[in-house]
Amino acid sequence: MTKFLVRRLLLSVPILLGVSLVVFITIKIIPGDPVASMLGPTSTPEAREALTARLGLDQPLPVQYLSWLAAMFQGDLGQSIAQQRPVLGLVADAFVNTLWLTAFSAVLAVVLGLVLGAVAALRRGRVAATVSNALALFSISTPQYTIGLLLIIVLANGTGWFPVSGMYSAIGGGTWGDLLWHLVLPGITAALVPAGIIARMFRSTVLDVMSMDFIDSYRARGLSERRILWHAFHNTTPTLLTVAGLQVGYLLGGVVFVETVFSWPGLGQLVFDSISKRDLAVIQSGVMVAAFAFVLINVVVDLLHSLIDPRVRA
Amino acid sequence: MTTQAPALAPAAVSRPRTARRARRLPAPALVSAVVLAAVAALTLLAPLISPYGPLEGDLAARLQPIGSPGHLLGTDGQGRDVLTRLLHGARPSLLAGLLPVVFAAAVGIVLGLVAALGHPRVHTLVMRSLDVLYAFPAVLLAIAIAAALGSGISNAIIALAVILVPPVARVTESEAMRIKSADFMAAAQVSGAGRVSIALRQVLPNVAPGVVVYATALVGLSIVYAAGLSYLGLGVSPPTAEWGVMVSEMQQYLFTAPSLLLVPAVAILVVSVAFNVLGDGLRDFFNVRTDAS
Amino acid sequence: MTSPTETPETSGAAPSRPGAPAPTAGPALEVTGLTTTFSRGGRQVLAVRGVDVSVGAGESLVLLGESGSGKSVTIRSILRLYGSSARHTGSVVLGDQDLMRLDAAAVRAVRGRTLAMVPQDPNGSLDPLRPVGRQLEQVLRLHGVVADRKAARARALELLALVGIPSPPRVAASHPHELSGGMRQRVAIAIAVACDPAVLLADEPTTALDVTVQSQILDLFGDLQERLGTALLLVTHDVSVAADVADRVAVMYAGSIVEEGPAREVLENPRHPYTQALLDAIPRPTSERGHLKAIPGSPPVAGTDFHGCSFADRCALAQESCRTQPPALLPVADGHRAACPVANPVVAA
Ligand SMILES: Nc1ncnc2c1ncn2[C@@H]1O[C@H](COP(=O)(O)OP(=O)(O)OP(=O)(O)O)[C@@H](O)[C@H]1O
Ligand SMILES: [Mg+2]
Repeated sequence: MTKFLVRRLLLSVPILLGVSLVVFITIKIIPGDPVASMLGPTSTPEAREALTARLGLDQPLPVQYLSWLAAMFQGDLGQSIAQQRPVLGLVADAFVNTLWLTAFSAVLAVVLGLVLGAVAALRRGRVAATVSNALALFSISTPQYTIGLLLIIVLANGTGWFPVSGMYSAIGGGTWGDLLWHLVLPGITAALVPAGIIARMFRSTVLDVMSMDFIDSYRARGLSERRILWHAFHNTTPTLLTVAGLQVGYLLGGVVFVETVFSWPGLGQLVFDSISKRDLAVIQSGVMVAAFAFVLINVVVDLLHSLIDPRVRA
Repeated sequence: MTTQAPALAPAAVSRPRTARRARRLPAPALVSAVVLAAVAALTLLAPLISPYGPLEGDLAARLQPIGSPGHLLGTDGQGRDVLTRLLHGARPSLLAGLLPVVFAAAVGIVLGLVAALGHPRVHTLVMRSLDVLYAFPAVLLAIAIAAALGSGISNAIIALAVILVPPVARVTESEAMRIKSADFMAAAQVSGAGRVSIALRQVLPNVAPGVVVYATALVGLSIVYAAGLSYLGLGVSPPTAEWGVMVSEMQQYLFTAPSLLLVPAVAILVVSVAFNVLGDGLRDFFNVRTDAS
Repeated sequence: MTSPTETPETSGAAPSRPGAPAPTAGPALEVTGLTTTFSRGGRQVLAVRGVDVSVGAGESLVLLGESGSGKSVTIRSILRLYGSSARHTGSVVLGDQDLMRLDAAAVRAVRGRTLAMVPQDPNGSLDPLRPVGRQLEQVLRLHGVVADRKAARARALELLALVGIPSPPRVAASHPHELSGGMRQRVAIAIAVACDPAVLLADEPTTALDVTVQSQILDLFGDLQERLGTALLLVTHDVSVAADVADRVAVMYAGSIVEEGPAREVLENPRHPYTQALLDAIPRPTSERGHLKAIPGSPPVAGTDFHGCSFADRCALAQESCRTQPPALLPVADGHRAACPVANPVVAA
């Protein structure tokens, strides 16, 4: 097990290096002189040159890349020019906020997806299954930025049942209940797409497993359909885990639209805001953190997978 | 490690064990095809059938509700006819969704074939590079690329194409690997056919149906993302009519004229659902399965 | 792990099949007039057309027939595994119960308890995610043949030893993918005999295994029958398997039994033209002919309607009456019955 984990972690090192290279190159493509935008239009050429040298931007690109990597290893993500704060704190705060949203919608998505998928698989040929299939299809096709707005219109506009922006109420906020209450609408919005994907995957996996030989031999051994179903569900867990893990990873970095619609101060929102401000250090760190988290989730998923399914350990 | 975005997660396209090949395209898929054909026709005819110009606003008639006389779908915050903008907006919205898939399919198929049929080292190189792209949350990567390139529809298309290449390449690769191990390939190799010729004559025709089916299903997603980039201000820029732009414009009037928002929202949803249903139907018809695992 | 120790104790046990101990009292399993009809796309497919077979305790009956003749459907119908997806007529009497008249719960109580099945493919028939010992214990607990978990564990190890598995504790803790095909089939057999069933149904239990393992598994069946007195109904398309295992053989063609009798009688002195053709079609070392005779034509597709003998279209002896009158299975010799009035005009008493 430890060996498996170590090997898996080692495998992700080159991937993360590749990720950092892509981020670095993407940032370098961004047009405009970052130093000029930092110092403003009135700056003197001497001042610009000095800052360029201080930031190491006069070095050759490979050197810049390596020193960026080295700094990152020491926890130095640079300074945000827009907010005049160390990037590390900014990104960390935003990441935690995104984690809340992700966790909430992941739970919602898995529950919803399993229910829809199970109904679609086990009530095959009946109205309930058709409805479930349609809902799942609808879910995967929804643009989050319109569903979020529609939810606001339907559930919040006029009724005031749910808050439509931010994480906490300005007055009397800050409690767990307040956070949960604020999570409802963005949580549902973010959960729909993964719920649809999980539902469709779960349906086809259940049907696959139910058509396998061992289900029939359970039947021939005298097990009740209920217990057989239980064993069938057990056998869907490896696939379920993999897909759900991917969806959590997707949520972590992919809730930009939701965060924008609901003014959720998360990572996606932060990166997006920084784009218009040309706040390069924040953009690159934000994307790096999201990718890093995603790779990490994959390692955890693989590990859990190997715990459930002895075949992948071999 | 696979991916994160919705339909972006196929590890394999394979013949399903149980399902029988559908003899005809299933009814929902046929309906979708008809809907899409109608949308395409309206898109092409937009300049002819629109009652107004897409940028032509009458500030005296702002935010007319749906069903107003002379404005079937109402008017927006600048008094522009929403129906007109919806029709004119279809072209950039659909193009920005379709073209990335076309580009990604072209590049992805080549990469997948090269990986599957090339030297093992090439295989490793290509697949590991794809893993790197997979490690990014797709939306975030698209946003970062679009931002790096600067706003504009062509840059949005490039950004989306980049995030769609890895899944297409992976589908192609796994399908090609499967075909490579089939008997007739050995026969082709024995007969002395060259690598490129084998790739084009033997593998590509067999890989194509699966990849096309998969790509069709990606279009729905791509249209949603493309409009999303415009919504964020990274794709088509206002005042050009485009569905994502319309959503973002109408958002200001969320509380005063909420129903107007429905118009572009429903348009995006309908097209996206239609492509997904069509993708499902084609998958059953061609008897291929894109596994999300 | 392909263990070289596939046969610790069983290989020594000489199975005494031909001329086995006479069955006691009535048959352990008596199937009469069994039919199975599927609805497929609005069409009725009659896959089993009235099968009569019976097996006594300790006896082994081999159901022999080519692919598609309806052997698997027969076995699965006996266990009523098709549920509501098939309709049956006839009776399946086990002891004093007719399975066809029992409700679902009562059928479940019989499955795995008095009537157990050994699956065809041991590779897919065990739950891949659970250690095989747990699956064995589950059956024991399910049918209440052991008092508690501890007893189940102990009994499971005994059963694994009984089917000739060299190190039961290790195998019990293994997952199916860690075992060889032969080992897996031994485990499947252990599960089948766990509750000491009166009748064992085996659907081509050795086709998925390589030849040497095949004969070990067949030996195991003989050995178990001898020790436990179980009746065995084994399905195969392989005449050599039938010759190896059977006390009696029933030959199946297109959903019905065309000939039935003592193994030696049927295999050496076949009375039905189909059985004769089937035996001619296999290579036998005793046969002096250098080439095989293929049976011309092909069997009727399941679902087609025909009235007379199912073999009439391919039969050299076919007469007009064969196409209109379904032939009855009539005695042709002592304990030997065949469904061909043309080849056996003189009915022996
Ligand atoms: N569930 C089903 N629905 C409809 N028809 C079926 C079903 N199962 C089997 N059949 C049909 O019944 C016939 C007999 O099939 P069966 O599996 O019993 O053959 P078999 O003798 O076991 O052959 P094999 O040696 O290949 O296993 C076949 O023609 C098959 O198409
Ligand atoms: Mg069979």
